[in-house]
Amino acid sequence: MADKIIKVAVAGNPNTGKTTLINAIAGTNLHVGNWPGVTLEKKEARFKYRDYEIHLIDLPGTYSLSNDTAEEKIAVEFLIKEKPDVVIDVVDSTNLERNLYLTVQLLELEAPLVVALNMWDEAKSKGIDIDVEKLEKLLCIRAVPTSAVKEEGIKELLDAVIEIYERKEKPKCVLHFEDQVEEHIKGLIDKIKEVQPILLDLYPARYLALSLIEGNTSFIDLSLSEDIQKYVQNVRKEIEKLYHKDPVTFIVEERYSIIISIYEQVVKKHVVKSVDITFLLDKVFLHKLFGLPIFFLLMWILFEFTFELSSPYVDWLDETLSSFIAPLTAQLLSSLGASEWLQSFVSEGIIGGVGFVLVFVPVLFFLYVFMAFLEGSGYMARAAFLMDRFMSVLGLSGKSFIPMIIGFGCNVPAVYATRTLENPKEKILTVLMIPFMSCGARLTVYAFFVTIFFTQHKTAVIMSLYLLGIAVAVIIAFILQKTYFKSQSLPFILELPPYRLPTMRFILRNAWIKTRAFLYEAGTFILATSVVIWFLLHFPVGVKKTEDSVFGHISKAIAPVFEPLGFGNWQAAGALMSGFVAKEVVIATMGNIYAGEVIQETEEEKIDIKEKLVQMGTGFLQANVEAGKKLLSIFGIDLAGGEEEEEFEKTLLDTVKNAFTPLTAFSFLVFLLLYTPCMATVFAIKQELGSWKWAGISVVISFTSAWIVSFTVYHIGKIFF
Amino acid sequence: MKLSEAEKGKRYRICSLKFPPHMKRKLLELGLFPGQEIEIVQDAPFGGPVKIKVKDYCLALRRSEAENIEVEEKNGR
Repeated sequence: MADKIIKVAVAGNPNTGKTTLINAIAGTNLHVGNWPGVTLEKKEARFKYRDYEIHLIDLPGTYSLSNDTAEEKIAVEFLIKEKPDVVIDVVDSTNLERNLYLTVQLLELEAPLVVALNMWDEAKSKGIDIDVEKLEKLLCIRAVPTSAVKEEGIKELLDAVIEIYERKEKPKCVLHFEDQVEEHIKGLIDKIKEVQPILLDLYPARYLALSLIEGNTSFIDLSLSEDIQKYVQNVRKEIEKLYHKDPVTFIVEERYSIIISIYEQVVKKHVVKSVDITFLLDKVFLHKLFGLPIFFLLMWILFEFTFELSSPYVDWLDETLSSFIAPLTAQLLSSLGASEWLQSFVSEGIIGGVGFVLVFVPVLFFLYVFMAFLEGSGYMARAAFLMDRFMSVLGLSGKSFIPMIIGFGCNVPAVYATRTLENPKEKILTVLMIPFMSCGARLTVYAFFVTIFFTQHKTAVIMSLYLLGIAVAVIIAFILQKTYFKSQSLPFILELPPYRLPTMRFILRNAWIKTRAFLYEAGTFILATSVVIWFLLHFPVGVKKTEDSVFGHISKAIAPVFEPLGFGNWQAAGALMSGFVAKEVVIATMGNIYAGEVIQETEEEKIDIKEKLVQMGTGFLQANVEAGKKLLSIFGIDLAGGEEEEEFEKTLLDTVKNAFTPLTAFSFLVFLLLYTPCMATVFAIKQELGSWKWAGISVVISFTSAWIVSFTVYHIGKIFF
Repeated sequence: MKLSEAEKGKRYRICSLKFPPHMKRKLLELGLFPGQEIEIVQDAPFGGPVKIKVKDYCLALRRSEAENIEVEEKNGR
């Protein structure tokens, strides 16, 4: 017999431990993505429990179901249209009163409810006693105490889900408002039944009636008959006259008065003598003077943590792929009699492409670990609190700051870090600003150029580029703010949840689920792009010089575009084109192009598999040791030796020196800083914002601004130099 | 008086909210309705948001929003 499928939606306020609970229920079955067309995270899982197949869908965290924000719209739409079999409402037991507001609205929606009284253990230790049976009776629902962190109550919760599912018919007990209002509600429902009964087939009656009175009608797809509109107007007027309040205030207060009466019957508080840790910690972390320095210190640690700790693993992966897997495959292919061309395609085009994907995995994993910690501990909200004043100037909130900082390391994880921004508009704007944050890969190109042209002013030139990036980002944000995003912004209301210590299990699981999502989705795109570039470089078959390849021809064709910027030679154009793959390959491409030589030849060397495997193993161990050392050095203990100086080929240095003047070199660097982000970033944008549209817009914006700024820099420069 | 003028550590009662409808609803739903008791706990540097306590939890509000919330000091106790 086929298993019965139960569709379960999980709803709840933000900061109720919803994510942890879902992780605990679904394990690593979880798949992260975005809600269709919207930039909000969507988690889904399918798993078996007893004789049932459970489909779990995580609704965005909301405080209410009022259809105002994108989160609420998704939740309401899903509940009304998809009609889940069971809804789990995750509430924070330590903050039951406010959390019940959503519960009451879910009841109005006639959702088959199971309430998960989460953080039960915490409530107990705070001396909060909740009478579960009484709560169940008063609300006519099932309620199960849970502790997501300790993974307690999970089985009971799932059993309750099945019980609700099997019970089929919904228990109905209506929570009553004041009698006169109830009569109005009843009258309105009768009116709808009479005039436009189809509405009642589509929407739950009480929710519909209350929404009409509240003036919240955006979820209704049909046009309302005039009769109903008139009736609603009348009810609204009556309420205003009777209670001297506007209907919205009145209804919210009615809900709360029900909640307060339930709360008082169900919750008993004992005075427990304990220190309010959150209060004390906030005294430090939100301190007027020390708050910001502590924040910047933490950001610095985050930065170091993400990029320094991941770099040994990145190097190791890189090394393994380029000096073991790739030549080994080539060797294997040649022993099978494959052509040189095919060998090069597989080892450079395909494995090279896979390499690009893998390089990001350690970086993303470490970033997600730290982000999960900041998020789970409650500090993220504090960071937003501290930075809000500055970011609000750009129409953003304090939360946008962290992704931008990460952008200086690498734009890819930065784009993924915007996942913590709930407001879709803010998220889009932040994502569009990120490519202007000068990443580590661009730094390698700057370093190359400044050693040739600006030996006297190395730091000043590099510094000016970083600042220019920020300035352009700010200008772009400002323009978008005044044009595209000008509609009214929501109020900045941010909950400051109590500090909690997230468990290692939660952090690692969370980080892994998200990293895996990147691997699955970005993999194909990055691989495909790298294959395309490989073909451009190697066509027509047997091409010996880059200049004669399709790549060379395209470079020559687009070179005139850069003429007004001072570097109209095809070599520069080609380098910029390859910079789309990854900015750090710009130098390598230049090496190829200017040297005018045959495209990289893999060394013919017999690969000893056993020896290489040992090397791979020891390499990984070394990477761990390296990471350990770096961890110590972040906290001030320096074990690692000095940084090695990068060395460039003499001939390349000379040719580049002849091809550029200091001014055109600077103009080139400005262009390199601002133009089209690398392919991994473009894909990250597509993935995070859920459509190619925004990825395309980002490419256009950055290319245009790069051209304009470089043009300006070059022509102003010409006057002075 | 306005919430933005309120003193840290004292308790106040909300009298009215002067916001456009959808903003007002958000605040109401979070429990900031007239009659509710609130307290300013902390404020951010450089005129940033303020941290307030409502019911059992803490919220941050921008100063520009705190200006639209009318409060009165809670007498006695």
